[in-house]
Amino acid sequence: MRSFTLIDFVSLFAALRWTVALVVLALAFGAPLALALATGRISRFAGLRWTMAACIQVIQSVPLLGLLFFFYFGMPMFLGIQVPALVAVTVAYTLYTAAFLGEIWRGGLEAVKQAQWEAGACLGLSAWQQFRHIIAPQALRLSLPPTVGFLVQLIKGTSLASILGFVELARAGQVVSAATFQPLLTYALVAAIYFALCLPLTLWSRSLEARLDGPR
Amino acid sequence: MALVEIRDVHKTFGKVEVLKGVSLDVEEGEIVTIIGRSGSGKSTLLRCINALESVDSGEIRVEGEKVHAGMPDLKAFRQRVGIVFQAFNLFPHLKVERNITLAPLLTGRIDKAKARALAEDVLTRVGLADKIDAWPEQLSGGQQQRVAIARCLAMAPHLMLFDEVTSALDPELVGEVLKVMEAMAKQGMTMILVTHEMGFARNVANRIVFMHQGRVWEQGPPAKLFANPETPELASFIASAR
Amino acid sequence: MNFLPLWRYQNQLIDGAIVTLELTVIAALAGLLIGIAGAVALKGRITPLRWLVRGYIELFRNTPSLIQIFIVFFVLPSFGLKLPAFEAAAVALSLYFGAYSVEIIRAGLDSVPKNQIEAGQCLGLSGWQVFRHILLPPALRNAYPAVTSQFVLLLLGTSLASQVAADELFHVAGFIESRTYRSFEVYAVICVVYFAMAMSFKALFAIIGLAAFRWPRRR
Repeated sequence: MRSFTLIDFVSLFAALRWTVALVVLALAFGAPLALALATGRISRFAGLRWTMAACIQVIQSVPLLGLLFFFYFGMPMFLGIQVPALVAVTVAYTLYTAAFLGEIWRGGLEAVKQAQWEAGACLGLSAWQQFRHIIAPQALRLSLPPTVGFLVQLIKGTSLASILGFVELARAGQVVSAATFQPLLTYALVAAIYFALCLPLTLWSRSLEARLDGPR
Repeated sequence: MALVEIRDVHKTFGKVEVLKGVSLDVEEGEIVTIIGRSGSGKSTLLRCINALESVDSGEIRVEGEKVHAGMPDLKAFRQRVGIVFQAFNLFPHLKVERNITLAPLLTGRIDKAKARALAEDVLTRVGLADKIDAWPEQLSGGQQQRVAIARCLAMAPHLMLFDEVTSALDPELVGEVLKVMEAMAKQGMTMILVTHEMGFARNVANRIVFMHQGRVWEQGPPAKLFANPETPELASFIASAR
Repeated sequence: MNFLPLWRYQNQLIDGAIVTLELTVIAALAGLLIGIAGAVALKGRITPLRWLVRGYIELFRNTPSLIQIFIVFFVLPSFGLKLPAFEAAAVALSLYFGAYSVEIIRAGLDSVPKNQIEAGQCLGLSGWQVFRHILLPPALRNAYPAVTSQFVLLLLGTSLASQVAADELFHVAGFIESRTYRSFEVYAVICVVYFAMAMSFKALFAIIGLAAFRWPRRR
């Protein structure tokens, strides 16, 4: 046992790079997939809608921890090769992001009134053009508050990667706490860092929402 | 003693003085219509009569009892004064019958066995006996407003207040509500109405009160007031209302 | 891929699922009570109390549930409060659920137009009567979807209690894994169990919602 020093303090902050990396990866792969799911959910083809809805339901009805472990153990087994933990974890977070963001964005798309689509059609725009220029921007504005809210969930969710050995913030906390026998100081710091990351986003999401309701 | 005595009432909202010394008496059985432009204070005055708004100075008495938010039995007082709102305010989660019988049952005015009969009775008076088991959402605006009136009647009030009750209705639905109010007037109910319906004011009211800039500007019987307005403000109001 | 070795651990899986349910229900009920208290405090006039509730909400919504469980389990003993794993997780999860419930309940109460309350008061009903008959039913209906979806998230979130060795389903999975070395199969199976539990609750809540809230929605 040694005392809590500056090194421990710094190591907590250094662990943030994994937290950020996981979030960035999840968004980079999850956002496009979410867009596909959202547009699929409002498509004309009932089969497509139902399949996407089922996929989303499944992912949302399983613990995030379960998703992580499923891919961590499942990918090497099914692909027959050594899969780096990062890849498995990225797949899990990507699907998690895609499912939740997909639902949020579907809500945004559906909230744009049907009349807007019709107005676009009357102007002679194709379905894709209607989507790109008229519907998507409005849907984006509407979805922004809950999207930012989900970002907070995602940041918190990266703490679960600690269980699979990633030295992100939660894991660094465990290590430091064990080494210094100072759980209070360590976890208070860890909580404070998460808080500092998440609170601004939460407040931003709220102000976005207020602005949406405002000029009306 | 008049049923309603309003003496020199002042009321301020924030920085704006909305009522600047209003005095008015309403006798039992009278039908008084308050008219005036938006912002003249008419709705505020009405809402002061049943203590939905507080008065800053002056006094309001109903049946001799002083009206204010802290009065000893505000609940019992409100059971004697019915108010019908512009937005109907029916309870959406209760069927029409329950909307009507909720207050009589909860205040002990009536017991469960007699509740449905009471609902049928007041609904018949407003011409909606067949809607007793409907949900408010299933009714038209005019029907909802008539149910709102029936809801008040179920409490057998001594005084009825109407706050622009037809302003939110489609034109073709206004008539059915005015008919009900006319019938109530004929049955001797004391009524104070804030309204834009000049036809009703002219034909049914005993007295018109014209409010302007927070004061009672002119009042009198409808025939006289509409034919010979004494003040230019009333004259221009009548002209613009045509 | 071989699921057979898992068969003999059926009972442990069932026990784990039961503990998961117990943990969920306890945390949900406690959390709802906290939520009601918090919503009432937020609508009250004691400013320091409102700030306290706001602080509590923001703290628990902006930090990971895992860290909250760690703090209750590892840190509280320094203050003399040493809780066993299940109880520690229950406390942490209750506080977490409570923080979300306050907002949901407050929003539900605010969703009822003031006109409705006025109409009730003008009929001569008492404050309590207005609350119980006029405010509460529509507020409950409006809050219901949010509360039930948070409940399902809580159910899934109890898996984190495994990290302090509470005997819920996820921890049982780890135990079975250590005995059978069939890692993927074990976690696949419990994912299915969680899925079944989550879907069952969603169906149950849907049925309850239909039965309890029968009046038509606003056009």
